[in-house]
Amino acid sequence: MAVTRAQQARRGETRRREAYAGLSFVLPWLLSLLLFTAYPVLTTLYLSFTDYNIVQPPRWIGLQNYRTMFTADPAFWTSVGNSAYYALLAVPLGLAGALGLALLLNTRAQGMGIYRTLIALPVLVPPVASTIIFVALFDPDNGLINALLQTVGLPTVGWLTDPTWSKPALILLSLWGLGASALIFLAGLQEIPQALLDAAAIDGAGPWQRFRHVTLPLLTPVILFNLVMGVISSFHIFTQALVVGGTTGKPLESTLMFMVHIYRMAFRYFAMGQAAALAVVLFLAVLVVTLVIFQSAHVWVYYEGSRDSHR
Amino acid sequence: MSLKNQGMYWPPLDRRAFLRWLGCGGGTAYLAACGTSSTPAGKGQKVIVTFWTPGGGGDFCTGLDAIARDFAQHYSSIAIAETQCGTGEQEFHEVLLARIAAGNPPDAAVLWTSPAALAARGALLPLDALMQQAQYASVENWPPAVLASCRFAGKTYGLPVTAGSCGLWYNRDMFERKGIPTGRDDFPKSWDELRRLSQEFTVWKGDTLEAAGFMPWHAVEDLPIWSALNGSQLYDAANRKYTIDAEPNVAMMGYAVDWLNQEYKGDFAKVIRSGNWEGYEIEGRQPAFIDQRQAMFLTYSWNMGLPIFAQSASIWNIARLPVGPGGTKSVAGYWPNWLALPKGSRHVEQAFAWLDYMSGVGVQTWFRNFPDLPANLKVPRDLLPTALVDGKGKTFAQDIMNFFRDQLDSATPMWDSPVQDFATDQLRRALERIMHKVAKPRNALAEAQRACQGALDKVLQAGA
Repeated sequence: MAVTRAQQARRGETRRREAYAGLSFVLPWLLSLLLFTAYPVLTTLYLSFTDYNIVQPPRWIGLQNYRTMFTADPAFWTSVGNSAYYALLAVPLGLAGALGLALLLNTRAQGMGIYRTLIALPVLVPPVASTIIFVALFDPDNGLINALLQTVGLPTVGWLTDPTWSKPALILLSLWGLGASALIFLAGLQEIPQALLDAAAIDGAGPWQRFRHVTLPLLTPVILFNLVMGVISSFHIFTQALVVGGTTGKPLESTLMFMVHIYRMAFRYFAMGQAAALAVVLFLAVLVVTLVIFQSAHVWVYYEGSRDSHR
Repeated sequence: MSLKNQGMYWPPLDRRAFLRWLGCGGGTAYLAACGTSSTPAGKGQKVIVTFWTPGGGGDFCTGLDAIARDFAQHYSSIAIAETQCGTGEQEFHEVLLARIAAGNPPDAAVLWTSPAALAARGALLPLDALMQQAQYASVENWPPAVLASCRFAGKTYGLPVTAGSCGLWYNRDMFERKGIPTGRDDFPKSWDELRRLSQEFTVWKGDTLEAAGFMPWHAVEDLPIWSALNGSQLYDAANRKYTIDAEPNVAMMGYAVDWLNQEYKGDFAKVIRSGNWEGYEIEGRQPAFIDQRQAMFLTYSWNMGLPIFAQSASIWNIARLPVGPGGTKSVAGYWPNWLALPKGSRHVEQAFAWLDYMSGVGVQTWFRNFPDLPANLKVPRDLLPTALVDGKGKTFAQDIMNFFRDQLDSATPMWDSPVQDFATDQLRRALERIMHKVAKPRNALAEAQRACQGALDKVLQAGA
């Protein structure tokens, strides 16, 4: 009995030591989470109810920042509209483009390693540098894109000077970085069992039917991941919009994205409270959209081994 | 004999102790870095004044350092630290405000944003008491409208060390070719006259504007001038009210749209695509006036010292701005560099002595490096841009600079709003929408009015 108690005590001691050790290993991460994520998030929430200009202490003003945002800030709705337009077009286009690229990269062509590297390379280019290059390409007078349009007899476009075309230009620019999503799709494609594709082929399914009824359903978890990440990053588009349109979103506020509006409010007008309120609204909007996507995932995402996997 | 026996034994430094010491050392170094960079001087020691500018490039900053060396010869107890020229990749005012909030600002700074706006946020020290004893910077030595940009709630928070004034540049060669009198006094006195004259020069070839007379106002920074020329204002500092959508302002913008429709095919986009109609190079595009494609435009005094004007082959002159239908007298505008003492400045008296010296003496060296017009009335009027003297002769240069100095006396108050940057963006938005026919002047200006007054009330409420 005494031996058993001693053994239990030793085991308890070991478990405690292991718990302490485990805790000490995660402590840096926990501290970082508390200091650099939780604290700023909570502070932002608090500041959104205050008038704060960095120099003077925050002054509690209740919901006034939110009222101003919805009723007296004309740029708010403009930036919401611009960001929604961008997200609605850039995300599906980016997903389709990335999937298409991944399908091409999944073929057994020669030198595929080189192609895969080339597709991934643009991700490594700093966004400011790539945007400046695109600004030159999109130049209405001397840009390569208008020169190509002229060569094939099409009318030229004021890409970044015409408010009608500036957002489509930003969306085209966003495709520059789809190599990252394409690589994730590629990994998903390579996880699809060849036996299933072969069985479908034996059953007489053509390439389109195999893609539509085998590849695509098995790829839905990856599509979900890329969709969620794409939606979040599209709401957060900042660098490209700032380089193209500055803090005023030229031309005619057509490139004034929500993040640029937040930045402008915070670091040009030093209305930190108002900027914090905008950031809270953005957070809630992204949260709602992400939750809706996750809810809808029950309908269209196939999880192998789940109770609904027979669908 | 071992060290231990001598009483000089150091315990072995294990890993834990090493990390502990490293943590302590790092923490101390970090705290030291967050602390002040300008420590109070002991008796007999020189006080070191730290000085920042928002940027301006190498020549500008080395010029400021040269002024600082001259200053040190006059004030043996004060030294100016090497000018911090900009704040790298971070926005200047962001860093400045953060340093003020942290209690560690520079002692003095050049500002490119209105002191009134920073003062309203409690970021600057009032200078009135110091100005009373100043050699150069006392109130009576500044043009009142220019000093107004530094005033908030009855106090002065900055010194407009330079204030480039504006005038209407015109190409005398182009005038002479059409038999139009070229004297300054012969220049149009009203907008209607200017508009009629402009049509003489404007030439379209299809949808391309080949040559232009005068473009109606399209730069947001100049709007307060055009508003004042039409007998109004955009911001009423005395009553702390925006008046953006006042009838004369709606009429002023309506006039511009009507002019645009009549002379420039109503399409501002076509105008912009046809050339660079400003008085300086934009994105590699040479200004149209260089090729004799533009007869008139609004310009500022500093341009006169730049080779592009001073050495231009054409003969030109500058005239006062014509008056609008609602106005009674010609006014001018200005674009300043301000000097200020951030809240928390550690050496207020010494830093102000530096600003005072800069206002009256240092600014002359500044002018020689870059021809920003000194605003202080004690600065001699025979200060001329070398390039202009070399290019056009001393008599002409003196006449032009006299003109611009006089323009400061008739300047309309500008840059005096506590929400200056916000208002500039709102006005830019309104102007763009009007010029691109997205909104009618009345609606666009009313929207800007609502937004600006709302932002102003909020800032004033916080200040109260």
